[in-house]
Formats: sequence, C-alpha cells, structure tokens
Amino acid sequence: MSEPRLDASQRAVLTRLADVLIAEGHGMPSASAVDVAGSLIDRCLDAAPVLAAPLGALLEEGAPEAPEGFARRLAAERPDDFAVLSTAVVGSYYLSGEVRRLIGYPGQQPSPVSVAGEPDYLDMLERVYERYPGYREAP
Amino acid sequence: MQPVLPEVEAASPADGIGKSAADVVIVGAGASGSVAAQRLAAAGVDVVCLEQGDWAHTADYMSAEPEAELAWVQRWNPDPNVRRNLADYPLTGEADIRPVMYNGVGGGLVQWAAMWQPLLASDFKVRSLDGTADDWPIGWDDLAAHYDAVAHDLSVSGLAGDPALPEAGGYPNPPVEIGRVGRSAARGMDRLGWHWWPGANAIASRRHGSLQACQRRGTCMTGCPENAKAIPSLTHWPAALAAGARLVTGARAAQIPLDERGRAVGVVYLDADGAAHLQRASVVMLAANAVGSARLLLLSTSARFPDGLANSSGLLGRRLMQHPYRTVTAVFDEPLESWQGPWGQSIYSLEFAETHPDRDFVRGAKWMVMPHGGPMFAVAEYHEARRQHGFDALWGENFHRAAAEVFGRAFTWGIQAEDLPEDHNRVVLDPAVCDGSGLPTARIEYRMSENSRRMLDFNLARAVEAAEASGAVETLVRGVWPTGIGHVLGTARMGDDPATSVVDRHCRAHDVANLYVIDGGVFVTGGSANPTATIMANARRVADCLLRERAAVEVPG
Ligand SMILES: Cc1cc2nc3c(=O)[nH]c(=O)nc-3n(C[C@H](O)[C@H](O)[C@H](O)COP(=O)(O)OP(=O)(O)OC[C@H]3O[C@@H](n4cnc5c(N)ncnc54)[C@H](O)[C@@H]3O)c2cc1C
Ligand code: SF4
Repeated sequence: MSEPRLDASQRAVLTRLADVLIAEGHGMPSASAVDVAGSLIDRCLDAAPVLAAPLGALLEEGAPEAPEGFARRLAAERPDDFAVLSTAVVGSYYLSGEVRRLIGYPGQQPSPVSVAGEPDYLDMLERVYERYPGYREAP
Repeated sequence: MQPVLPEVEAASPADGIGKSAADVVIVGAGASGSVAAQRLAAAGVDVVCLEQGDWAHTADYMSAEPEAELAWVQRWNPDPNVRRNLADYPLTGEADIRPVMYNGVGGGLVQWAAMWQPLLASDFKVRSLDGTADDWPIGWDDLAAHYDAVAHDLSVSGLAGDPALPEAGGYPNPPVEIGRVGRSAARGMDRLGWHWWPGANAIASRRHGSLQACQRRGTCMTGCPENAKAIPSLTHWPAALAAGARLVTGARAAQIPLDERGRAVGVVYLDADGAAHLQRASVVMLAANAVGSARLLLLSTSARFPDGLANSSGLLGRRLMQHPYRTVTAVFDEPLESWQGPWGQSIYSLEFAETHPDRDFVRGAKWMVMPHGGPMFAVAEYHEARRQHGFDALWGENFHRAAAEVFGRAFTWGIQAEDLPEDHNRVVLDPAVCDGSGLPTARIEYRMSENSRRMLDFNLARAVEAAEASGAVETLVRGVWPTGIGHVLGTARMGDDPATSVVDRHCRAHDVANLYVIDGGVFVTGGSANPTATIMANARRVADCLLRERAAVEVPG
C-alpha cells in the first residue's frame, strides 16, 4: 500500500461526513462504526487514486461543525464534488468485512461453473422452437 | 484547421521495427487486427502490427481483489476520458452518446462482456426489406464459415439451434449455466410466449483452447483474472507471434503517406518518446476501430486527398452507429446471488429485433439478461432510479435500503437498439484538443434519432412487462446511457459504389488500391446484435480475400 493520502484532521472531517451519508439503521452499522476513515479509505483511494486529490480538497473545506448542511449543499449544488465524496464513502464502506458479512456478500469470488448434465430449461426452449415463426429471410 | 504533424520524410528508408518493409502493416491489435494478423501470419505473410497501447496482463486486473468494484471508478473504467491511460486519446464533443473503448493489445476485448451474437440474416438487406438505410454488399452466407471459425478460436460457449438465426455450425462449448437470474428471466418470457435463448458468450464453460473454465467471478468487464474470457492476447497473439508476426506496442499511427501513384507507402507512427518512424509495407490495413481508423484517415491529408485519405465519397467518419442502450432492472423478493458472473449474457431475446408494421419505428432491438453486480452497483442503480425522491430517501439510515432491497436480488435486461446510419452522426478531428502525442483527437458528433427513441421506449415498456411476468416486485428503469456500450460502427462503410461508400466489398478503399479498413467502421447498418462476432468474422473473411488475391494487389513502386 502507498503512503496514506489523508491527514488526521481530514480523517476527522471524513468521519463526520461519512456518517451523514451512512448512518446506523436497518441492522447495519454506520460508516464510522466500521472506521471508514481509517484503513478502508486508504484502500479505496489506492484502488481509485483519481478520487484522492478532490476528496482531500473537499475535506479541507468541509465544516466539521456542520457536516450535515455541508453534505446536503454539495448534493444540491455541486454534484461532481458530491459524487467524489459519496463514491469514496460508499466504496470504502463496502470494503469492510463486517459490512460484507452482514449483507451476505462474499466479494467477486470464484464459484466454478457446472456444465455437467442436461440444462433444466429444455422444456421452455422446446416451446420457443414450436412458436417461433422462423427467421426473416434476406433476398 | 490543418493538423500539425511531426515532420516525417515519407521517402526516407524504413526505420520501423527491424528496419524492413513488411508485406502487411496493421494498425490496431484489437478484435479485428488480431484476427487478421494471426490469419495472415499463419499463411506466411510478413505482418507488422502497430498498437498504441500496451499488453494488459492478468496481474494488472483488480478483479480478484476485494476492491474489484472500485476498478470501475477509474483504472478499468471503459471510458477513455475517465481512465486516461497513456495510450488513450480523449474523445471530445457534445454527443448524445460518446463511445467507450479500450486501447491496448486486445482492444475492446480486454473489457468486453464477451456476448457473442451474429447479425440476423435480414440485417444485411435493410434497404431491400424495409426500404430504409442500405443493403450490405455481402450477406450472411459470406460470413457463415467465418463466424464458425472465429467462434471456435474464441472458445465460445453457447447452444446452437436458435430459430431466430440461420443454421450455423454450432459452438465448441456448452452454454455457461444461465443461473437463477437466467431461469427467472426465461420464465417470464415463457409466460408471455416471447422468444428467448441461452446466451452465447466467448467465455469458456470448460477448459478449451487457450482458455480456462469460467469461475463465475462476474468481473468480465474489468478483466478476467481466471483467463476464462476470450481476449486476443490469449486466443490470437501467441499463434500470430509464433508464425512470425511482429507486434509493436506504444506505436501510435499518425499518418499514411502515399507515393506519387497514390498508393500507401506504409504507416508513420510515433513511439512513446514521440519519435516518428515509417513502417513500410505493401498493404496497409486499418483496424483501429470505427473512431480510430476514421481519425487516422482524416489525419492523413494530402494534395490528392485534402479532406482525408480515401474520402472521395465524403462519407469518411460519417454514419457513426453506437446501439443506443437502456436498461430495466428487475428486483425480486428472493436472493438470486446476482453478483455472480459471468457478466456476459445469461439469456437473450430477439422477439422485437425485426421491423413490425404495427410499430412506429423501423428495425428493432436485442435484449440480454445480465447479472447485477456487487453492492456499489446496487446503490448506484437504486439512487439513479430514485434521485427525485431527495436526499433523505437515499442517505442517512435509508442508505441501507438499496442493499437490502436490490443487492443480490436483481437482474438487468439490457436493451440494445439498432440505430440507423445517418450522415450527420460522425467522427471529426478536434480543432483544438490533442492526444498525448500531440495529434488532434477525435470529436464525436452524435444525435440520437426519433426512430431510436421510439424503439427504446417501446422495448423498455415490453421489458418491464417481461420483468413483471418473471415475478419482479419492482423495476428500475434507466435512461439512455450517455457513454455508450463500446459498440462503434459505420464510419468507413462498405459498398460497391465509390460515390456512396469508402471501401469495397473486400474492405479495400475505393480510392487507394493497397489500403484496407477491417474494423467495425465498415458496417453498412448496425443490426441490433453485439457487433464483435461480425467484426471478427469479417476481418477473417478479408484476410482470406487478400490471401487469394495477393498477386493482384497493387503495391507502391
Ligand atoms: C466495456 C465493453 C464491453 C463490450 N462488450 C461487448 C460484448 O459483450 N459483445 C460484443 O460483441 N462487443 C462488445 N464490446 C465491443 C467490442 O469491444 C468492440 O466491438 C471491438 O473491440 C471492436 O473491434 P475493432 O477491431 O473494431 O477495434 P478495437 O477492438 O477497439 O481495437 C482497436 C485498437 O486499435 C488501437 N488504435 C487506435 N488508434 C490507433 C493508432 N492511431 N495507432 C495505433 N493503434 C491504434 C487501439 O488502441 C485498439 O487496441 C464491448 C466493448 C466495451 C468497451
Ligand atoms: S465470470 Fe468467468 S469470464 Fe467473467 S471474470 Fe469471472 S471467470 Fe472470468
């Protein structure tokens, strides 16, 4: 992993903004509960370095006292900046092993295909064959 | 504005790789270029292929990492304007749909979904059958044997016998398991009495040729980490290189100089350091895709061809087609494990692919069922569909609804419309913006037609019915994809009349006897099928024509 791209104060702002976007509820933890602003955001920015500079700049201006108003204003008035923030927060959140366990997502894991035996949809295909009028011939 | 090209002395001795002239120089190592290189080299032709990008190595993919979904954000985003690799050239212009592509060895196939779909027999004769657009100078029968041969080379997995298509030789592998997703979609089509068929994909359902068996990771479009999806670096280049073909990477073709008789001398290219080289060859083949080849020909102006090389018809760059695309996501109240791959087509439908007298548009659309991806996809789709519900419906504690309601429980019907060829939809040179080599880049001018809009509206409404017939509890409908789906066709159309086409039926330029265009640019109409089966079959056909008529090709003196 490369050098961490955010400093402590940027991480503190991110923690509060991330909780505006992902709060606790529906049996799921908030963003801060899985420490999105810790190693998860580092992994996210390593995977998508293009987010790092604009996110860093946003976190410099993101008023720590009023994270909710700031996030709402971004969403309403600066959609591109909001996309940077939300992509980074959502992307980091779903890297959490705990979150993945809770939603039943193992990741894009291998799961070998089986081509042994007859497919179980042949009766439906038979009906396609029977009702299809035949393809349109070209002159 | 006249592009400013680096100074190159066309008459200077060749200083391309090995400093030797080749029989054939191909520009672009993508789908079509790879087929031609392999076919020609195997027949003993001395081939040099110039590719602006590099090799994509399996180890470069992020697909096997937990970060796989984040690959879409930048590194493996199919939009060159987002990805911004060194090999990419920016695409400018205010277009309704802007093309996406991959620039490197394998071309678009590095990121393709590997859906394998021949054109319909009727697609070749649209003017005769429907009184619109044009007929191709060739027909299904001209491509039939090549479709079969390329399907074999790409280890395609599928089921022969679809009654919507002419009979063909079958596929080398049985179809990939259609999964819970495909079964559920098929049940809906069965209830409605509509056409469907298990998808054919250039993804090996079992170990075959140079491919391993698919492991259903579902990351096909950000690079298959299992080497189960067909890409030319696995399926074509090992044999081509073994047969003596030379592949120069980091070589950006900049111009095609002519001799005094008007024959192509070879290709001028810029290496990674910006140094210009001339690769001489008896025959020049362009396989840089419908944007890249048109761009290169437009860059190659001369006193003889002030509007771009081989452009006496004025059609070069025009009639760009892109298959306007919309989706309907069907959401179920049961788990479908719908992040699992392959992210090719599980099943497809040609029910609405033909012209019908009762509809207010001509031609039609192909539908295909795809998985729905991981949780980031689910959130993106959910938000797109509910944007108008406002901040509180999407964020805060409601954020979790997307994963709870959509993730793992949805599949997508992709609706791919046949857009008709229109002269005003075109690729031109950007007067101000250049690529990393200082060459004017491609500007895209594309307006979606009323015919395409009606076609999509009609098909979307039917796809919602199909989703409901499958038992979907909800459907999420998306607008036209503004960045396209990687299908770029039609900028150097094939035809018998030099006044109305750029290349002849053998894909040789009417204006320059030793210049060929072999990529998707030569399509006369686009059909609704994913185009690559036809692009590759046609490239193989052209290579075979060239081999047959080699002696007859006029070369620079
Ligand atoms: C995300 C995605 C998914 C897709 N899925 C499917 C699918 O499921 N089924 C299907 O049929 N099709 C699919 N496609 C489309 C498919 O990739 C294209 O149809 C196909 O690759 C086009 O082949 P081509 O030979 O015309 O050009 P390409 O494969 O695009 O190759 C062109 C090559 O030329 C090179 N080049 C361009 N300009 C220059 C230059 N000046 N000098 C040197 N080299 C140059 C480029 O770097 C590139 O490698 C998909 C595309 C994308 C992007
Ligand atoms: S689903 Fe199959 S083809 Fe696609 S990435 Fe996974 S292993 Fe490769």
